[in-house]
Amino acid sequence: MNDITNWTRSDDAMIETAIRRGATRRELLQMMLAGGAALSAGSLMLGRAGNAVAATPVAGGTLKAAGWSASTADTLDPAKASLSTDYVRCCSFYNRLTFLDKGGTPQMELAEAIETKDAKTWTVKLRKGVTFHDGKPLTADDVIFSLKRHLDPAVGSKVAKIAAQMTSFKAVDKQTVEITLASPNADLPTILSMHHFMIVADGTTDFSKGNGTGAFVREVFEPGVRSVGLKNKNYWKSGPNVDSFEYFAISDDSSRVNALLSGDIHLAATINPRSMRLVESQGDGFVLSKTTSGNYTNLNMRLDMEPGSKRDFVEGMKYLVNREQIVKSALRGLGEVGNDQPVSPANFYHNPDLRPHAFDPEKAKFHFEKAGMLGQSIPVVASDAANSAIDMAMIIQASAAEIGLKLDVQRVPADGYWDNYWLKAPIHFGNINPRPTPDILFSLLYSSEAPWNESQYKSEKFDKMLIEARGSLDQEKRKAIYNEMQVMVASEAGTIIPAYISNVDAITAKLKGLEANPLGGQMGYAFAEYVWLEA
Amino acid sequence: MNNRVLSLVLSRLLIAVITLVIVSFAVFFATTLLPGDTASILLGQAATPEAVEGLRKAMHLDEPAIFRFLRWIVGLLQGDLGISYANEMPVADLIGGRFVNTLQLAGVTALFSVPIALTLGITSAMLRGSPYDRIVTVLTIGVISVPEFMIATSAVLIFAVYLKWLPALSFANEVTSLTDLLRIYAMPVITLSFVISAQMIRMTRAAVIETLNTPYVEMALLKGASRPRMVFRHALPNALGPIVNAVALSLSYLLGGVIIVETIFNYPGIAKLMVDAVSTRDLPLIQSCAMVFCLGYLLLITTADIIAILSNPRLR
Amino acid sequence: MTMTHSETKSARISGTRLGYRFNIVGMVGLSIILFWALVAIFAPLIIPYPVGEIVDLDYFGPMSRDFWLGSDYLGRDMLSRILMGARYTVGISLAAVTIACFSGVVLGMIAAVAGGWLDTILSRLLDALNSIPSKLFGLVVVAAVGSSIPVLILTLSVVYIPGAYRFARALAVNINAMDFITVARIRGESTLYLIRSEILPNIIGPVLADLGIRFVFIVLLLSGLSFLGLGVQPPYADWGALVRENIGALPFGAPAVIFPSFAIASLTISVNLLIDNLPQKIRDRSE
Repeated sequence: MNDITNWTRSDDAMIETAIRRGATRRELLQMMLAGGAALSAGSLMLGRAGNAVAATPVAGGTLKAAGWSASTADTLDPAKASLSTDYVRCCSFYNRLTFLDKGGTPQMELAEAIETKDAKTWTVKLRKGVTFHDGKPLTADDVIFSLKRHLDPAVGSKVAKIAAQMTSFKAVDKQTVEITLASPNADLPTILSMHHFMIVADGTTDFSKGNGTGAFVREVFEPGVRSVGLKNKNYWKSGPNVDSFEYFAISDDSSRVNALLSGDIHLAATINPRSMRLVESQGDGFVLSKTTSGNYTNLNMRLDMEPGSKRDFVEGMKYLVNREQIVKSALRGLGEVGNDQPVSPANFYHNPDLRPHAFDPEKAKFHFEKAGMLGQSIPVVASDAANSAIDMAMIIQASAAEIGLKLDVQRVPADGYWDNYWLKAPIHFGNINPRPTPDILFSLLYSSEAPWNESQYKSEKFDKMLIEARGSLDQEKRKAIYNEMQVMVASEAGTIIPAYISNVDAITAKLKGLEANPLGGQMGYAFAEYVWLEA
Repeated sequence: MNNRVLSLVLSRLLIAVITLVIVSFAVFFATTLLPGDTASILLGQAATPEAVEGLRKAMHLDEPAIFRFLRWIVGLLQGDLGISYANEMPVADLIGGRFVNTLQLAGVTALFSVPIALTLGITSAMLRGSPYDRIVTVLTIGVISVPEFMIATSAVLIFAVYLKWLPALSFANEVTSLTDLLRIYAMPVITLSFVISAQMIRMTRAAVIETLNTPYVEMALLKGASRPRMVFRHALPNALGPIVNAVALSLSYLLGGVIIVETIFNYPGIAKLMVDAVSTRDLPLIQSCAMVFCLGYLLLITTADIIAILSNPRLR
Repeated sequence: MTMTHSETKSARISGTRLGYRFNIVGMVGLSIILFWALVAIFAPLIIPYPVGEIVDLDYFGPMSRDFWLGSDYLGRDMLSRILMGARYTVGISLAAVTIACFSGVVLGMIAAVAGGWLDTILSRLLDALNSIPSKLFGLVVVAAVGSSIPVLILTLSVVYIPGAYRFARALAVNINAMDFITVARIRGESTLYLIRSEILPNIIGPVLADLGIRFVFIVLLLSGLSFLGLGVQPPYADWGALVRENIGALPFGAPAVIFPSFAIASLTISVNLLIDNLPQKIRDRSE
């Protein structure tokens, strides 16, 4: 039996993060002031992988990597991309107008410049000399086609809600597009860096060919099985380093790690925290890369239904959640304690002065007594569909039992969870993926009109502040407004966000050049074109 | 006699077709009972009512499910399995390659495990009560008592991670030589053999013992037949019915039940396809997979039934 | 596996009193089953920690004085979880295997003896049922009636009835063609008599062997269903689910994954040992 200690390298890393955070934030602030556009702050890359950045890239080799989710619904249509596997593939075959760098600042990709005077009308100048894999040059029409399709309900775009604010598109000339928004939004360059806004060729109907401008040309694509991309010899950027890139999913956690350890793959995305010990026990051949980018699993109490309609019940629950224990036990240290609002510490606009509710069973008991809830059995719906939700539910249930509150945790199938229980059950778990800006988070999750208003939180004041911050180009003012909005969500809404969950990718030490990215693990899913394999 | 067999086979085929229709409808009915449709599942968290409505219209999901089902049946009669809802590819293309993979894995496993299982079953029946028999019995039960995923994971840890003899993943499309074949199929086949052999061993043993106890075998023994001769000439033919039944049931597991092995070794077979289809409510794909499973199952058990009938002179 | 001397003895005494003679292997099997049955009944009284409580800061902790069988992936006490898990594994599996085999065998014998259209219809219906994938079946059940222990037992039974039916029918058809059955028929015996007194005693051996193996499959399927949301509701877990949720401990050989596996193996092997060594009187009642 191995000598098991409870202290892993990730714990060291966590402390490092805490120390480094202050410095990082100041740096980001400076970058932001210089840039003048909206941005979100990034996350940190930890562990020894960070050392790799300085080395010189090596060309050649076949990169093999495995994600964790695949299905026959796998698609190369960026608008429909829903699994991380889709994001990785889209990143390798297509490009976006902008992308976020590791600091969270939007950088130009297919766009040469994006300019505005009033945050309402934006001019996008395209890079010259970019061609699609089939040889067609990139023009304004391609960009308009790519963006406009999100507005068509028949496309089934994942970001239809966000795209809806782009009301008109105009091709000024072959290389220039003018986008007009319904109302001013200073975040457009960041929004355009989302994976769904990849640029496809005008008039594309068959997306399975993956005809983009990206670093790899599609060779094989079998939905639910695998994809292979070959190096794009005419790529407009320098790179990619590897000759070919094979990507597939291994849904079983331990199989994914085992495939890495046996040398079958170079990267195992999003490993279970409990597998870290195994990877670390293998010595120097493998590296863990950690990203905290604002993904979270939350407990939602609908304010318009019993028992969430009782103010004291919601308040009691917030004291009942042992956030430290959730981070320690359910997430094995791979997360940061959350303060019940969706803007994570990785984001520039995060409000660090907002303290999370302390774990206080006595206070919780006081509130439950006031609400008359003690001794009752309260159903809580949990599912494997929401990352770690069952484990969190177990922890909360155990705390509740100690003060005489019976939480009846109902585990329901992951299959169909988002359709049947999420947003619907009086008390249920949700899981929210990172979004680059507070505006997107609040518009999707907390405004009165929000499509995913998990706790049915409604506040006119909040809605007004949201619109005000969106149109403002003044960073300090935006930050102040967003800070206050975070306080409002934390104290008034019925969503408990106990922790921001970190993502850990395990890679072989031969794989170099992997950096963290605020858009998610695997370098914001775009690692394939940047990394290289050492001989 | 030949005519009787022929009519038997024909009536079995007719019944098989009827069963297929029943299953097809039952699966269709079951699928419609599941909450959510392809449009809302594909949109997942992004499924706002308007978005779902729009996509549903675009995918022609707004017409009653029974019409879509009937259309699929009509298509099937013309040899068209339909188009997958989830990715708009022809279902035949999606199933084709993976079905071949499943058959390959099933075939290799059957070739490996059936002879071993039958030998172990028959010998332990012949030596009933001996230490050999007891060891075989305990080992068989012990082996299937270990969950499949644990056998598979242990095998990967030992042979791929620590010893590095075999690859952790089994890509059927990388087979170019016999060595490749052995390397790639070794672990999945061993895991599956563990799972399916136990039932065959036990059933064979039980059935042979049962026939050994019957009066006519005792008679043969009294007449001075040697023990092996007795088993092979008299007991085995009579025990054949239950044995082939057990073999058929075990092998049918290799078609649709290997989801764990497919997942752990990342083997692109048809079981995982079906699971995907269910979770995206991809009606044409679910139906087609169900048909494939059903056909395979019917083929196996019908063969078993016919062998059973032919082997027992009294049933002919 | 611990086994107290008194249990062994009591088994022997009751065995002799009823006029059956167990051999030693059968008795060992029976005692282990009795042991787990007792654990299942008294589990709430003997568990050292509440099943859902996180008591260890470490995960996959080793065996220690506080945690005899170590701790699980959340730091919960494994001993308590295994003891409570006995309730679900033993109870649900025994109930399900009994229902499945009883219904399957009875239907199989009826079909074999009655023959004709009844046989055809029953066989085709159960074949059809068997070819529907169990995952789809499980999902539909959860969607339609929700998850509870009776539902779980029935689902497991339904999944295994066709197998038991086919097997029993195949055996019974063979017996049914034998001379003594024809004689009994000519004698004018009722179908019920044929089934009870002529067919059943002659197929009971293989049927019991089948029951043993089916029991193992049900124990394992139970853990599989918990992943469809149809299993035992958390924080409780059956043994198969305990193995599954702690599979990450395998590379370290931690007790969290080893002991639930032992528990499953001890129960399933005992059930089969017991069946294989049942006294001749039960096995061959006809003689």
